[in-house]
Amino acid sequence: MDFSFSQEQQMLQDSVSRYLQKSYDFDARQTLVESDAPWSDDVWQQFAELGLMALPFSEDQGGLGGSISDCVAFAGAFGKHLVVEPYISSTLFAGAALAASDNSAAQKWIEKLASGECVAALAYEEGHGTANLAQIEMIAQSDGGGFTLTGEKRLVIAGAQADILVVVAKISGSDQIGLFLVEKNADGLETRAYDTIDGRSAANIRFDQVAVTHDAVLLDNASNALESIFANTIIVQSAEAVGAMSALLELTSEYAQTRKQFGVPIGSFQAVAHRLADMKIAYSKALATLTYTTALAESGSLTVRDIAVLKGQVGKLGRALGEASIQTHGGVGMTDELNVSHYHKRLLAYDAQLGDHFYHLRVLGQH
Amino acid sequence: MNIDFAPELEEFRTEVAEFFATAPTPAIREAGRKTTSVFAPFEQCMQWHNILYKKGWVAPHWPEEHGGTGWSVEQRFIFAEEYRKADLPPLLPQSLGMVGPLLIDLGTQEQRDRYLPGILNGADFWAQGYSEPNSGSDLASLSCRAERDGDDYIINGSKIWTTYAHHANRMFMLVRTNNEGKKQQGITFLLLDRVDYPGMEIRPIVGLDGFPEQCEVFFDNVRVPQSGRVGEENDGWSVAKHLLKHERGGGSAASPTLLRYCERARAAAAETPSPFGGTMADDPVFQRDLGELEADIASLAHFEKLAISGHEIARDPAFPSMNKTINSELVQRASVLMTQVSGVDGLARQLEALRVGSNVEPLGSEFDLVAMPLYLNSRATTIYAGSNEVQRDLISRSLPGA
Repeated sequence: MDFSFSQEQQMLQDSVSRYLQKSYDFDARQTLVESDAPWSDDVWQQFAELGLMALPFSEDQGGLGGSISDCVAFAGAFGKHLVVEPYISSTLFAGAALAASDNSAAQKWIEKLASGECVAALAYEEGHGTANLAQIEMIAQSDGGGFTLTGEKRLVIAGAQADILVVVAKISGSDQIGLFLVEKNADGLETRAYDTIDGRSAANIRFDQVAVTHDAVLLDNASNALESIFANTIIVQSAEAVGAMSALLELTSEYAQTRKQFGVPIGSFQAVAHRLADMKIAYSKALATLTYTTALAESGSLTVRDIAVLKGQVGKLGRALGEASIQTHGGVGMTDELNVSHYHKRLLAYDAQLGDHFYHLRVLGQH
Repeated sequence: MNIDFAPELEEFRTEVAEFFATAPTPAIREAGRKTTSVFAPFEQCMQWHNILYKKGWVAPHWPEEHGGTGWSVEQRFIFAEEYRKADLPPLLPQSLGMVGPLLIDLGTQEQRDRYLPGILNGADFWAQGYSEPNSGSDLASLSCRAERDGDDYIINGSKIWTTYAHHANRMFMLVRTNNEGKKQQGITFLLLDRVDYPGMEIRPIVGLDGFPEQCEVFFDNVRVPQSGRVGEENDGWSVAKHLLKHERGGGSAASPTLLRYCERARAAAAETPSPFGGTMADDPVFQRDLGELEADIASLAHFEKLAISGHEIARDPAFPSMNKTINSELVQRASVLMTQVSGVDGLARQLEALRVGSNVEPLGSEFDLVAMPLYLNSRATTIYAGSNEVQRDLISRSLPGA
């Protein structure tokens, strides 16, 4: 067993961390979040120059053939800096859905994604927040030359800005789940854009008999591909969340040693010290589970249970750590000005997507 | 990053499983099923210890040159997993897990030659003499005295919570050799060659589960040779701290045992009616409780595997304390779930049915027989080996800024 990152992975990790330390401190991030721009195009281009955009795609597809552990190596820095650019949702999540198809239209979009020229969005969530494909309600009705899509998608990250939507829908008259390519501004789309609590841009999108041709069908039986795309996305998002947990643990323990009440640092009180100890335990469990699950994925031995453990644990532990961090900071932890609450909101957002911990932990007990 | 799933490992798994299916006697198997503590029934446990010794598998975590197996991390985990699946009694930790590794690291050649063979083959069992009636969490305040007299020490005082001292033939202990300066600086670590020295008395203490697992040990002018000292006089605290690394984790894996508890609870829940109709296993609340527990145990398993593979997580100074805290609280949670499933059937006091070889048919199932004693006994896990309050103090001191 070897759970360490390779030298190349450490170099990638270092270059992403260095770039974010230089250009993405908390003040810069807040200025960006409060501006009208959904994210920074400069940062997006820098990600492309660092090679992140091409990383996950295979060499045949014009990418760098990176592995899941490559992404895990640098995603922690995204969490630490609370990155709002839709890299994971576009390049990894929607990108993987495109890469699973042999449709030539998909290949064209992959090239643009790999060079950082476009943004894609995977329209999956329907509001119940589960990762259970059997619950998908959006219908793709066969219609002569193609399909019409009807239903509503929620929390589509970058859904209003994306050049292309990859839509998950149940194919009418069958049990199959299909993946469909829908271009921006297609007729019948009603998009309601909003900011998320953790500083990202999302949209709820209504599909009213949106017509797509046969060429727009990426996969007509996508369940297995989606399970694996969800698994990989969950691993990288968990790495981001564990990065946020690490930052919170560090800044909270430092705060507890400097903040004085009753004439002494609050960290010298056992009630506070023990909460900090529990935060470290939570972080260590999350880190161990992330690391082991990544190695399992790398070895091709991942099971549904392993992903449920990871998502359930990081969701639950991250939330607990965030709450403990706010409590330790006291009043100042309640402010928008301090970064603590922003980390917590990123962890809440992580938990709610692709099945929250209540869902995943019950799945474990069920079978 | 990689995890080895080579076919040879599956062959190894089969070899281990076959040995576990054939080597233990019926009494050893019965002891495994009736283990309701970290400490398995003594007699059968030591028989099993010797069988494993003869096979060469008694100390997988030891260095190979001292009797370890030289297995990979994967093999050690497969061994632990198959061990628990077979419901075999866990080996007692004091000898193989504590004093043995300590002597390998810090003992003299003479001490190793004298004691390691008996530790490995199970001829000896060592009791751990640490706590005293007035020194629990504040162990460094201990006052059991040893005074030099020629080539010997004369010991006066008492030790308590010495697990299985009534079964032991040897003992390692901490004694006070100096009252001046910092309390940690006057402590010495001693190996006692016997436990029947004149002036030594061992009294078992019946625990809340009805079993005499713990003991109190009294010393009245007990004369022991100085050659049993490990490390320098008055430097026993650093020896004890070194041993704690072995006691609080690193060597063996607890997660397979915990997963086994879950498997047993899950199987029993499928046979237990729920007051809401159906079985307990169908109840969504039970499913969530079980799922949360299993996920936490999985995280411990990941933590243990990273540690055994030498990952940096195990080099964190707080690692032993985190490992002990996580593991001990999971034992308690698993036992709570088990008593929830056993319900009223766990209320019968069945000490005779629990005794290995008694041939007393239990009321209800074997699961119901062990759930409550396990729950009661596991109240100790957050108290022993340094209470979890002490562990959290230590963890908090490892944080940045502290």
